[in-house]
Amino acid sequence: MAEVRYFAAAADAAGRDSERLEVATAGELRLHLIAAYGDAMARVLRSGAFLIDGVVSRDDAAPIGARVDVLPPFAGG
Amino acid sequence: MVVDPDSPRFARQRILGGFGPAAQRRLTEAHVVVVGAGGLGSALLPALAAAGVGELTIVDDDTVDASNLHRQTLFTPSDVGRPKVDAAADALARIAPDTVVHARHERFAPGATFDLLLDADLLADGTDNRPTRYLANDAAAIRGIPLVWGSALRYSGQVGVAWDERGVDFRDLLPEDPDADGGDTCEIEGVLPTVCAVIGAMMASEVIKLLTGVGEPLLGRVAAYDALTGTTREIAYRRDPQAPRPGSLEERTALREPDPGRAVTAEQLAKLLAGPTTAGVHETPPVLLDVRERPEASFASLPGSVLIPLGELPGRLDELDPDAPIVVYCHHGVRSARGLEVLERAGFTRARHLTGGIEAWSVLVDPAVPRY
Repeated sequence: MAEVRYFAAAADAAGRDSERLEVATAGELRLHLIAAYGDAMARVLRSGAFLIDGVVSRDDAAPIGARVDVLPPFAGG
Repeated sequence: MVVDPDSPRFARQRILGGFGPAAQRRLTEAHVVVVGAGGLGSALLPALAAAGVGELTIVDDDTVDASNLHRQTLFTPSDVGRPKVDAAADALARIAPDTVVHARHERFAPGATFDLLLDADLLADGTDNRPTRYLANDAAAIRGIPLVWGSALRYSGQVGVAWDERGVDFRDLLPEDPDADGGDTCEIEGVLPTVCAVIGAMMASEVIKLLTGVGEPLLGRVAAYDALTGTTREIAYRRDPQAPRPGSLEERTALREPDPGRAVTAEQLAKLLAGPTTAGVHETPPVLLDVRERPEASFASLPGSVLIPLGELPGRLDELDPDAPIVVYCHHGVRSARGLEVLERAGFTRARHLTGGIEAWSVLVDPAVPRY
């Protein structure tokens, strides 16, 4: 089980700050999140990033570690 | 120097433990370039001037709009229509008349604006668009100075320090997406004004800490503030040693042109698949090689594809004809580039890969292919 944390627009889309999920790869996580949270999450993931145990990954084959941070493209000023 | 570090204005910060007259002197000797005189700049700029930073350059090509005034508290209703940098310079002159302020009414861009950094000690970016964030990141990296960045949108904001020389920059947190649009901005999305005040003030804290050497900068850490819950969470990150590093500023800021010998665009692929009857196309339609994982392929794929996940590709090359035209594809064009390298090393001569992946295909060719 990985701890998945959501930030900013990703937290808005998920309606929560974090949860524990059983997923093996970044690609699986991406599909799970879109199935669970729909278009709003799909938009976030299109230009956001996964930090897997603190290292950024856009490779869907990347294995999931203990923690994933789901980041939208931080914007606005 | 113009700002007097011994001025009674700074008495209450000089007596701080770990600060003292030496830190104050560093502030008065410092030159900080601030990109963006909007909501974040409205909190950041007066804080830096009031704290005694000796020289400030403000870069912004925008003018003050009435809809800015709820959060851009450096401006007053009588400033509406004026360049933000001029209105900001006037406001700072009232707060800190001895701070030297350069107002540059222009967009932060390669060329003359970058030259502003030649004698800058630090760059701060509070703009609301991503292209400027990457430019600021790369310009600071080339100059070897730290970048303090901040973002504020809706009810939340983030602040961090990018300092390539010290091991992490903004690209280690969010890699640039060449297909991205300009991104959300407060113009259309809305922002709680106090989020700008919080994040702008946190940016000012980071600037002061970096200039004086006090405390631990937000290096490799992002402070993410959520006004709705009143909480701040920390996002720790580090550089992936395997990730390609951009080189010169030209390389970093150049538009990516795919190599035509090794890549095809979605539109080109659509023509190739239509076959030799299409005007100007005389090639056999290529074999489509999908190197994604099985759940992705069952969610969305191009008709007639051969699925061999990237990890299995080296062991299953005998299923492919090395002389046939092949177009490798994946989700965004990253795994397919690796797959292409696998094929090329094995002697495949007519293999290419799809730029932007199936995502580009959905956007540019066939919206019926679902995006994920």
